[in-house]
Amino acid sequence: MLAIYRREIQSYFYTSAAYVFLGVFLTLGSIFFGVSNLAARSGNLLALLSELSYLWMLLSPILTMRLIAGERQRSTDQMLLASPCPLSGIVLGKYLAACTVLVMAVICSGMYACVIAVYGRLYAGEAAVGYLGLVLQGCAFIALDLFVSCFAKSQMTAVVLGIGVNLLVWMADVLASAVTIEWISRALNFVSLYQRFAPFVRGQLSLSNVMYYLFFIAVMMFMSVRALDARRWSEA
Amino acid sequence: MISFDHVSKRYGTLNALQDVSFSVPKGQVLGLLGQNGAGKTTAMNILTGCLAPTAGGVSIGGNDVILHPREAKRMIGYLPEVTPVYEEMTVRAYLRFACELKEVERKAIPAHVETVAEKTGLFDVLDRKIGNLSKGYRQRTGVAQALCGTPEVIVLDEPTAGLDPRQNSEMRQLILSLAGEHTILFSSHILSEVQAVCDRVIILHHGKVICDRLLHDLHSTEHRLRVVVDCPEEKLLPALRQLQSARRVEPEKNDDPALTQAVLTVDGSGLAERELFTLLSALQTPLLRLAPVEDSLEDIFLRATMDETA
Repeated sequence: MLAIYRREIQSYFYTSAAYVFLGVFLTLGSIFFGVSNLAARSGNLLALLSELSYLWMLLSPILTMRLIAGERQRSTDQMLLASPCPLSGIVLGKYLAACTVLVMAVICSGMYACVIAVYGRLYAGEAAVGYLGLVLQGCAFIALDLFVSCFAKSQMTAVVLGIGVNLLVWMADVLASAVTIEWISRALNFVSLYQRFAPFVRGQLSLSNVMYYLFFIAVMMFMSVRALDARRWSEA
Repeated sequence: MISFDHVSKRYGTLNALQDVSFSVPKGQVLGLLGQNGAGKTTAMNILTGCLAPTAGGVSIGGNDVILHPREAKRMIGYLPEVTPVYEEMTVRAYLRFACELKEVERKAIPAHVETVAEKTGLFDVLDRKIGNLSKGYRQRTGVAQALCGTPEVIVLDEPTAGLDPRQNSEMRQLILSLAGEHTILFSSHILSEVQAVCDRVIILHHGKVICDRLLHDLHSTEHRLRVVVDCPEEKLLPALRQLQSARRVEPEKNDDPALTQAVLTVDGSGLAERELFTLLSALQTPLLRLAPVEDSLEDIFLRATMDETA
């Protein structure tokens, strides 16, 4: 697993994937910061983090498209499958590598917090909870898109599928507030990642929400392993 | 060392492998032959754990590939049909990664990478990016990753595909140099290559094993004789077909209608020549020529696949 993790990290930076991800995230993040904080003369970091969380929907597939679909496209998946490393190790190594790049992006976005701290007032506890939520939200999207990537034969398909599924997740949030039937609304609220994220950007740390994210990630990992294993039994 | 036990694989309604059974002893170089779609790659993918069989089982060194994948896969080095290389990596970094995957002890990796590179002729390009290498070097890199961890079994799926004649010859030499130390399973469309490299050949056709022989046995179990007799075909061919030792009689074109030229496929008992002379003396026809026909592997392959199709 460590071998896979190291290779993926190297690969992100040998190719343009990590630079595109970090570049787009920080460019759009800076625009949000400029408009929401600098131009509005606001020190509300949590509102900025809430806006940044929507970027995961579009950017997470950039990190995950190569993980499974890319290997399949290059036929390097056979090298991994023929190695003694178990499928769970392969999936986990790749997932952690993508999460590491995401965490790097979040660390870079810490400069916005620094600016607010210098020129305004920053509540460290609130900021920490907000950043924890942002990381968990991003890791959940990566887990979801990694699972989606298991069904794609090319990286392009993986990106399109990933963005599509992410939008559906976001739609669940929108639908939950629009649907009048209570149990459907409640169910949609339960599966909505954005509903779980909302308390973090209010500065509220809830163990149940953290557990929900961890459970969601574990389920996605498990399903990714099963999807890859199922392909061995059925692939034409 | 390798055992296929009644292995079948279905893709929907297509039977890619049907009840395939064979075993490969330690140190043998086995050539898998077959037309496109015969099931060679499927067999190799099942052996390496990339695919699971629909029925039956495969074991390597006594370890079932499905039940004990880790132990079984530790014993395998696999070069798939499409060379599995990461173009953005240098050869050294790639081989290092392959060693880590094969669980080579961390401290031993740098020396092991150099040994493998030396063996495969990659030493001079160790620090070059794989994306910048020629097809021949990429293929060597693929073989090198298969050698990482010094596996007992090397599985090579068409390792010479797409190489020029010189690279082809170099690859053949490389495989020959590995033959003593490893059990090798090797597939190719180039029959002369299989003949040059392998001890034994298995011919797959429509997912079935239709021929499984040691290469030197291929020539000894069946003889072909070319005969030219001073007698018209209408009279001689029916008589030749009656010979007890004749499995097949194939007339060949000749310009003189008074002569018969034919190839007899006979068993290896040595009776054929005796029967033939007895027949011709009974018919009082002179034998003008009798010569053995040397079969190439290509002839055997074509005949085996043709018989099965017929």
